[in-house]
Amino acid sequence: MGLKPATNPEVEAATIELTIDGTRVTAKDGVSLYDVISMTGKIIPAMCYHYTFDPFGSCGMCLVMQEGKKAPVRSCTAKATAGMIIRTEGEDLFLARKKAVEKHLSVHPLDCPVCDADGHCELQDMAFEHGVTNLPNAKQKFIPEDTRSLVLDFNMNRCIACAECINVCKDVLMIDALQFMKKGGFNQVVPKGDVPLQCEFCGDCLAVCPVGAITNKFSKYLYKPWQMKKTATTCNYCGDGCQLYLETKDEDVIRITSHLSWKNKWGDRAETAKGHGGLCVRGRFGFEYIDSATRLQQPLVREGDRLVEKPWLEVIDLVAGRLAEIKRRYGSGAIAGLITARCTNEEAYLFQKLMRVVLGSNHLDSSARYGHLNFVRAMKRAVGIGRSLNTWEDFTKAKAILLIGSNLTETNPLTSVRIKEAIRVYKAQVVTFDSAITNMAKLASHPFLITPGTEGLVLDGLVKTVIERDLIDEEAVGQYPAAFEALKEAVSRLSLDQLSSQTGVSVESFQEIAEIFAEAPRSIIVCAEGLVRRADGYRNVLKLVDLAWLTGKLGRPGCGVNTVTEEPNEQGVVDMGAAPEFLPGLAPFDDPTARERFEKVWGASLPSPGEGRSLLEILEGCKSGAIKALYVLGENPLATLPASAEVRSALERLEWLVVQDPFLTETGRMAHVVLPACTYAEKDGTFTNLEGRVLHIRQALDPKGESLPDWHIMTALANALDYPWEYQSVSDVQAEIRKLVPGYYNLGQPRKAEPVLDDYWSGGYVHEVAERYAVTSVARDQARPFSLQMGQVLTHSGKLSTQAPGLMKIAPNTGRLHMHPEDMEKLGIQDGDKVRITSERGSLQLGVEPDQSVAPGTCFFPEHFNEPPVKDLIAVSVDPVTGVPAFKQCWVSIERA
Amino acid sequence: MSVGAVTKKILQAALFQEIWEAMKVTFKHMFHRPITFQYPREQRVIPDAHRGALGLLRYDDGRERCVGCDLCEAACPSRCIKVISAEDRERPLQRYAAEFYIDITKCVFCGYCVEACPVNALAMTKMYEFSTHDKRALLFDKKKLYEIGERHLEDGKKYLYAHNQEQDVQESREYRYYFPQSVLQPTQPPPKHLS
Repeated sequence: MGLKPATNPEVEAATIELTIDGTRVTAKDGVSLYDVISMTGKIIPAMCYHYTFDPFGSCGMCLVMQEGKKAPVRSCTAKATAGMIIRTEGEDLFLARKKAVEKHLSVHPLDCPVCDADGHCELQDMAFEHGVTNLPNAKQKFIPEDTRSLVLDFNMNRCIACAECINVCKDVLMIDALQFMKKGGFNQVVPKGDVPLQCEFCGDCLAVCPVGAITNKFSKYLYKPWQMKKTATTCNYCGDGCQLYLETKDEDVIRITSHLSWKNKWGDRAETAKGHGGLCVRGRFGFEYIDSATRLQQPLVREGDRLVEKPWLEVIDLVAGRLAEIKRRYGSGAIAGLITARCTNEEAYLFQKLMRVVLGSNHLDSSARYGHLNFVRAMKRAVGIGRSLNTWEDFTKAKAILLIGSNLTETNPLTSVRIKEAIRVYKAQVVTFDSAITNMAKLASHPFLITPGTEGLVLDGLVKTVIERDLIDEEAVGQYPAAFEALKEAVSRLSLDQLSSQTGVSVESFQEIAEIFAEAPRSIIVCAEGLVRRADGYRNVLKLVDLAWLTGKLGRPGCGVNTVTEEPNEQGVVDMGAAPEFLPGLAPFDDPTARERFEKVWGASLPSPGEGRSLLEILEGCKSGAIKALYVLGENPLATLPASAEVRSALERLEWLVVQDPFLTETGRMAHVVLPACTYAEKDGTFTNLEGRVLHIRQALDPKGESLPDWHIMTALANALDYPWEYQSVSDVQAEIRKLVPGYYNLGQPRKAEPVLDDYWSGGYVHEVAERYAVTSVARDQARPFSLQMGQVLTHSGKLSTQAPGLMKIAPNTGRLHMHPEDMEKLGIQDGDKVRITSERGSLQLGVEPDQSVAPGTCFFPEHFNEPPVKDLIAVSVDPVTGVPAFKQCWVSIERA
Repeated sequence: MSVGAVTKKILQAALFQEIWEAMKVTFKHMFHRPITFQYPREQRVIPDAHRGALGLLRYDDGRERCVGCDLCEAACPSRCIKVISAEDRERPLQRYAAEFYIDITKCVFCGYCVEACPVNALAMTKMYEFSTHDKRALLFDKKKLYEIGERHLEDGKKYLYAHNQEQDVQESREYRYYFPQSVLQPTQPPPKHLS
C-alpha cells in the first residue's frame, strides 16, 4: 500500500494539520487517513482494517467525505495530507456504508444460526447497526467447505474477502501461508498453492476473521459465544507468558482466544512492539488436556504392584506420617523434593518452605535445572541480575540481534514474532548461529550453520575478533583495566583460523558479525536451549556477557543478554528459591544476613549452609541410599533424563516416593502415593515469564474430580506435619512473598534492575577468565559422523503437550529420525526406511524421514517423545559449576538396518 | 316495622319462601345443559394457539429439523433448555443437536423458544397432562421431545399456523431460514427451493 505507520522509527515524517469534523488535528504526513481519524477517538466501521498491519481497503465501509470530492473516499487507503477537510458522519455516509454492507450480505449465506461466529461477527453487527432488513438480489456461492487442514475449516461461502487473515499471516507473522485464488467464480482464501494448510498453525487468521469463514476444528459447533465464561489467564506452555482467554462452558474448555481479534482492531501500532496479542499453535489449540479423561481424579496409594484409589484424608495422613517417620529415623537430609516449572510462583515458594522449614531439608530442585539455571547463575554472578536483561519491546526495537543456539520459532513462537517485527519494521540485522536450519535463519540477514556443539567456540571467535579489530567500547572497558588485560591475555592463546575451521564460520564472517554487533546502537543477544542446555552452558553464557561488556552493551538501554525458557515459570521457580543455592528473591542460601531474615519471618531455623543437593545429586543420593524419600511435584525425571542417568534404579531404591501431578506420569507409576493436582485452569497464581514480568493465572474451572491445587495440597501436608500454615487462598501466600521479596509483583512489569559489574569485574573475573577461554580441541570420533540432536518442536512443550489430543493430531509421534535429504541420499535410504543408529551408549533401530530443517551431518529427534527411546543414546554430562545436566546432543553413526 | 311488613314475614316463614327461592335455582339447572364435564373421561377442546408441552418436529422426509443453533436456549427466560450441538459426520457442515433437554418443571410456557427457532423445529402442542410420580421423567430429552413431536404433529403444525410462524410450505420458506445444504462437490446445483 505504501502507507507506513506513523510509529516506524526509521521514518521521520513531517507534521501536518487537517480538519476532521470541524476539529483541527495534527498528524504525521503519509499516514493512513483512517489511522488519523481513529486516533482522535472516532470510530468509523471498517471490516478489513486491523491496526497490526497496513490497510488493505476491500470492505468499502470506512467511507468519509473529503471536501472537494463528489463521492465518498475510503479513508483507510487514503493518505492524510495537509489541509484536508474531512467529514465522517452524515446521512449520505450512512447510506453509502449501508450499501456496502448490503453488497457483502447479498452473497452471504445467512446461515447465522449454525455459524460459529454468530454473536461475534462483524458483518452481523454492521447489518444490525445499519438496519439492513431485506436484500433484493441475494445469491449464494455454494462453495464446498475446505476441511483438509488439521486445525481449521475454511467456509468460503461466508468469506467477505477482507484479507485480514492473509495480511496478518504475511505482514505480522511473516509466514505467508494463505492467498487469494479465483475458484468457482469467486475470490477465495486458500492455503498457498491450494493444498491442505501446512503452516505454523498459530491460528491468528482465525482470530482476525471478522465472520465465520475460518473456523476452529476443535470447537466447531460446540458453542455460541454468549454461552461461554471467558477467563483472562496466562498460557502455561512456554516462557513467553502470552495472555489468553480461556473460554469454558459448564465444565468443558471450549476454546482459547487471544487478545488479537477483529474486535480489537483499533490500536496504536507502536504497542505491537510489546507483543501483537496473538498466540501460537500450542496456546490456541493445545487446551484439550485440561478436561481430558486421563486426568487423575483421586489420590492413589500403592498396594502391592497396583495403585488403588483412596480418600484424601487417609492419604494426607499416610504421606505426612511416613515423611515424619523417615525424618525421625534417618534425619531430615534423607528427604528431597523436585518441582516442575509449570507450577506457580506461590506454589514454588510454598514448596521450598515446606522442604526447608517443615521437612528441614535443602535437597530441593526444579526443572529450571535442565538449563535455565546455567543462565541464571552466570548472570547473577556477572551482573547481579539473575534473569534476562531485556523486554520484548527491546527485542523488537533492537538493531542487531544475535541468536545463538536459539530455534525461537519452535521453542518460543511469540518471541520469534518479536524478532520478525524487528526485521520487518525496525530493519534489524539478525545473526543466527545454529546447527540446524531454523526458521529464524531463513529470515535472518546473517544466518550461519555451525558445527554441532561449537557454540562456545563461536563465542571465543567473536570475543577474539572484537579485541583484535578494536571494536571495544573504551568507556565500558576502561573501568576495569585489570579485567580487560586478563581477558586479552586469555584470548591471545586462541587462533582464529583454528576456531574458524572448528566451527565452520569463516574469519571474515567473524569480523562482519563483530562489527554489526558492536556498531549497532541497540544490540541484544538471545541464547536458548542450544546453548544453556548443552555442555559448558554456564561458561558460554559468561562469554556472552564478556562480548556484551567489551562492546559496551551491558547496562545500556535496549541492549543486553537474554535467554528464553521452555516452561512458563522457570524464572519464577528460581526466583522463589526452589533451588538449593537460592532463597526466595535469589538471595544466596549461604548468605548469613539473608538466612537470618528468612529464619526470623518463618520462625524456624534453616538447614545448615553448604547443604543441598541439585537434581542429579538428589538422584545420586537416591541411588546411594542417602535419600530415602522423594517428593516429586509435577516433575517427571524418569521420562526426561536418559537411561544413563539411571533414574529408574534410583527411584526404585526409595522408601517413599510421592508424586503430585495432574496425570499419571512414568515417574508416577513408580510412586508409593500419587496425589492428583490441578492444571493451571483450575487455580489462581502467577507465572514469571522470560522478561521477568509476573503474570496472573486465574481459575476458570472447578478442579476436576477430587484433584486439588498444589498449594492446597502442600498446605494440608504442612498442617498434617504439625506446622499450622494458615493460607486460605493464593493471595495469602502472595502477601507473604511481598513481604520477603519486596517489589516482586510490580504490577506485571519487569522489575527495574541495573547491572552491577563491580563485584565480578573487580573481583573474581581475573582469576576465572583464563580458564574460560582455554583452548579446546574437539576430538571427533570418525566412526560416529552424525550429530544426534534432541530438541523441542513448535507443536509440543515438554511432556505436557503430549496429553493434548489436538496437538497430537497435528504432530503425532512418528517415531522416526529426522535427517537431511542429502544425507539420506548418501546413505541410500528412502523415506520410511529403517536405520540403525549407534552411539557410545548403545544402538537403536528406527525409521527415518526427510526434514529440510535439519542440517547435513546431523539428525534430529523431538525430545517430547520417548518411543523409541532415542534419549537413552545420549550420555549425561554435568556442568561442574551449576550442576546442570546436558543430554541433548551426541555423536552417532547411522547405517541401513 | 309496620304491621304489613311483619305479616309478610310471618307468611313467608310459614310457607318456607326461602326454600322455594333456592329450589327455583336447582330446578332451573335440572333442565340446563351441565357446565362441568367428566374429566378425564371427557376431554376439553383446546384452541390451536394453546401453549402446552414442547415437541421437536421433523421434516416430511423424516430429517430432523433442529440444527442445534442454541437460539431457543438463548431465548428461554427460565433457562430450562439445554442444547448440545455437534457436526453431523455424514453430512459435513450440517449442524445438529446431539443432545437436547427441556426441563419442563422449569418451563413457563411462554413460547419464546418456538418464536426463536429459525427452522420451526420446536412447536407447542395441546398436551398438558404430564404428571408423574418420578420428577426425573419431567426432564425431557431429545428422544422424548421427538416422541411428543411425532404424536402431536398435527397440533404442532396448527400451533405454528396459529402463531403466524408457518403458513404453508411455500410461505414458510420465505419467512424462515432454509439452510444451505452441505456442499460436497463444487459443481453441485443449488437446492430446488432456491433455483
